[in-house]
Amino acid sequence: MTEHRAGMGSFYGKFERHAGGAGIKGNSTHYCPGCGHGLAHKYLAEAIAELGVQDRTVAVSPVGCSVFLYYYMDVGNTQAAHGRAPAVALGHKLANPESIVVSYQGDGDLASIGLAEIVSTAQAGIPVTVIFINNAIYGMTGGQMAPTTLMGMKTTTSPHGRSPMTGQPMKVAELMAGLDGPIYVERVALFNAKERMRAKAAIKKAVSLQVEGKGFGFVEVLAECPTHLKLSPLDSIKWVQEKMLPVFPLGVKKDAQPAGGFKTFTPSFDQKKVTEIVTGGHSGKAPTFSRKFPDHIAPKDVALKLAGSGGDGAQTAALLITRAGINEGYDATHIPSYGPESRGGTSYADVHIADGEVLSPASPAPHVLVAFNQPSLEKFGPTVQPGGTIIYDSSVVVGRPTFEGKKVYGVPFAQIAKDLGKLVVKNIVALGALQAATDILPKDSFLAAVRMELRSKAALIPLNEKAFEAGVKAVKS
Amino acid sequence: MNQKTTKVKEKPKPFLLPAYCKGCGRCIAACVKGCITPGSKINPHTGLVPVDLNLEACTSCGLCVIACPEPYGLRLAPSEGTEGVQGDFVLEDPAKLFGPRASGAPKPEPIPDQVIPLPECEPLVTKGTYASAIGAILAGCRHVYGYPITPSTEGAELMAKYQPLLDGVFFQAVSEVATVNFMYGTGGAGLPCITYTSSPGFSLMLEGISYMIGSEVPAVFVNVMRGGPGLGNIAPEQADIKLMCRGLGHGNTHCIVLAPSTPQEMLDLTMKAFELTFKYRNPVLIAADGYLGQMTGMVRMPKSMRKPGIPDWAVYGDRSHRGNLICSICLSEVDLEKHNQRICAKYEAMRKNEQLADLYQCEDAEILLVASNTPSRMAKGAVAALRSQWVKAGLFRPMTLWPFPVDYLKPLLKKIKHIVVVEASAGQLEDEMRLAFSKADIRDYPPIHHVQRMGGVLPQQSEIVDKVLSLREVRP
Repeated sequence: MTEHRAGMGSFYGKFERHAGGAGIKGNSTHYCPGCGHGLAHKYLAEAIAELGVQDRTVAVSPVGCSVFLYYYMDVGNTQAAHGRAPAVALGHKLANPESIVVSYQGDGDLASIGLAEIVSTAQAGIPVTVIFINNAIYGMTGGQMAPTTLMGMKTTTSPHGRSPMTGQPMKVAELMAGLDGPIYVERVALFNAKERMRAKAAIKKAVSLQVEGKGFGFVEVLAECPTHLKLSPLDSIKWVQEKMLPVFPLGVKKDAQPAGGFKTFTPSFDQKKVTEIVTGGHSGKAPTFSRKFPDHIAPKDVALKLAGSGGDGAQTAALLITRAGINEGYDATHIPSYGPESRGGTSYADVHIADGEVLSPASPAPHVLVAFNQPSLEKFGPTVQPGGTIIYDSSVVVGRPTFEGKKVYGVPFAQIAKDLGKLVVKNIVALGALQAATDILPKDSFLAAVRMELRSKAALIPLNEKAFEAGVKAVKS
Repeated sequence: MNQKTTKVKEKPKPFLLPAYCKGCGRCIAACVKGCITPGSKINPHTGLVPVDLNLEACTSCGLCVIACPEPYGLRLAPSEGTEGVQGDFVLEDPAKLFGPRASGAPKPEPIPDQVIPLPECEPLVTKGTYASAIGAILAGCRHVYGYPITPSTEGAELMAKYQPLLDGVFFQAVSEVATVNFMYGTGGAGLPCITYTSSPGFSLMLEGISYMIGSEVPAVFVNVMRGGPGLGNIAPEQADIKLMCRGLGHGNTHCIVLAPSTPQEMLDLTMKAFELTFKYRNPVLIAADGYLGQMTGMVRMPKSMRKPGIPDWAVYGDRSHRGNLICSICLSEVDLEKHNQRICAKYEAMRKNEQLADLYQCEDAEILLVASNTPSRMAKGAVAALRSQWVKAGLFRPMTLWPFPVDYLKPLLKKIKHIVVVEASAGQLEDEMRLAFSKADIRDYPPIHHVQRMGGVLPQQSEIVDKVLSLREVRP
């Protein structure tokens, strides 16, 4: 019986989704007489059938006249938002790399509202197939100007003819061919038997390139819209040939060797691998050194603030305090806050260590302040709680500031770090100073946290340990 | 060779059921032998004029068939003797003429998720967005799409680092608009996917979310809310509560909105979100704020992870799922109303079954603070501070902003003398609560006060305490 099915391709035996498949609609498309969509559908359906990929195919229907592609194609179907079909197609392809995904779009959908999606999807070069129907006009919404509308052409939104103010007709095939992503781009037409054979072959080639895993294929089809051109079907065929052809020359625009960047893949759910990755490889038990909560600073919840400029290392130091606190079995939090600049702006960190649960993680009135520069000291010094501790970098702060009722330590973080040969460890010097000045946690808690943080850069550990000790010493002396 | 003479099979000639011909005439020019002519008879079924075929000169070249745009238009004729080919055409199923199609995709069977136990681990020390990303990985998500936007980008960055190690996908989209449509594709294929975004980016995703709701596609969105409107700033606000609870694009839309307040909950609620999004075939949103996204804290690992299956409704691109369609179109008004009623019934089930709230010192509370996300932590601090001053304060923390957990709140109302809503927005959380009261037909509730900060300024513990102490019956 196969000969009887020639031409039936991968269409449904009955179009159940077309008005319930009743009557003529069960086997007839919704397209106007003379419309080019039916032919493109047919060539696509045949390509899918001939390549034997009907079961693996997902067709993405656009918005526009071909919105109902899913009425007809007996494949997995998805209907996308206006212009977004290439992104939806890629979402399908990445979900199942074995699937054959076809995005079928008109000129309003692809070349106007969906330009970003088609260009970026094409450029990605992942093997999907895009069939682009260019009939120079918006069909479904009723004959408005499309990006592909010809100059001077009258549409409902260019009633005086398309003016140069609206730009020139967009040559999408050439645009696609100019990108590195696609490996095959061709513009075809439907106006005579020869061009139809070419169109059929081009669509099949674009799909087969995907089946072979080679790359992204794009076929632009010049199609007729007799209804909105207000021409008879036969005259609209003539119109495409006479008017569209000079603007949109036919032919292969690109036929490149596959780049071979895309390989199918199967995600891993290996428990060991997943655990190793999400725990960052340190799922072992951290050592504990603290014998009691630092209630000499605050009964249940110690609030700290570290403040400086971006690059001072305030955030890293804050993280180390947090990690040390959690390693010791307390609850701890760290909230960074910085200006929009990556470097050089303000950089503040609020840290809490709590016996039980950190309630409010912000430190508007900290028990301890570590200030890396003068403005930070001036801004936050006054907010420190009575009886609290302030530690500042005396190598950059001018004079010897005092804050009544607060313990103040000036330690030359930067100078000590510079003397050790690496300015960047000034935050570790500060950490040592913080430990010595407050005894918030034992020295070993901090050193263990530092080692944990640097486990992948073990060579830096001795320098950091030295910096920490120097900070401790500077306070004690 | 056997003795029988092989009868040369005659090439099939074109055949046309007139009702399927729209008379476009492409075949007329295609036929070099002039066998096809414009018709003269109006077809009573279609009102169109099909072409006439006179096949005496036909060479069976097939060019007319290639020229016919109708799938069931000009075809190569069935074998001799097939009933119904000759004579008057009676409109009926071509399957009867041409035999049944070899298509018929099987009924898809769902492949269930697998639950894989995890070994005991020390708690992680990590920030909120990272905790959420880890939760997504453990929930079986191997497809992450996103567009960089502060302060949510860490989620994308961690996924970009981890997913390739698990042969999963992180794909940076050209925009948030493309992002949500990648998710529509992958979610439509039946697989879990997630994105990390922040307020302006979330606004851009709304069209896609409406499509997903209409097409019943699952996906998880983490919106790390920042200061608005417009570009605003990158500091924490809760300014998208209205958008997430009431404004998810066009149509009758709702999504469950989860509101974590610790890095631990960023992990736990992300995992929960995946469960819910597949349970209801509806997107699930996680409302975080800039502080929470950046906040580092202790995060305990769950007891198990998941390997996702494939649901029966998915368009996965295989034989079993070939009959499926992901689509939000219902052309008939009656059908679309039914579809809406069905979706609304899902919302009703969510309202009934998925409310979540955390109650802190609420048993004897007379002053009830209501807060979510990071402001709820300041409120929690305020409860402790107020209790130390003998004020019976408690914290009601909605963990689902939609549905608002009014069922948990209702029993508390008898004892409560004042409600103080603490939030980083101009009353968006309060509006949800008031609407929930109204819908639950709660008319008798205590006076509602509020502490509202905006622009990235969060309500601080001290101002919450001051607000409560300023209420008349409270101050001793």
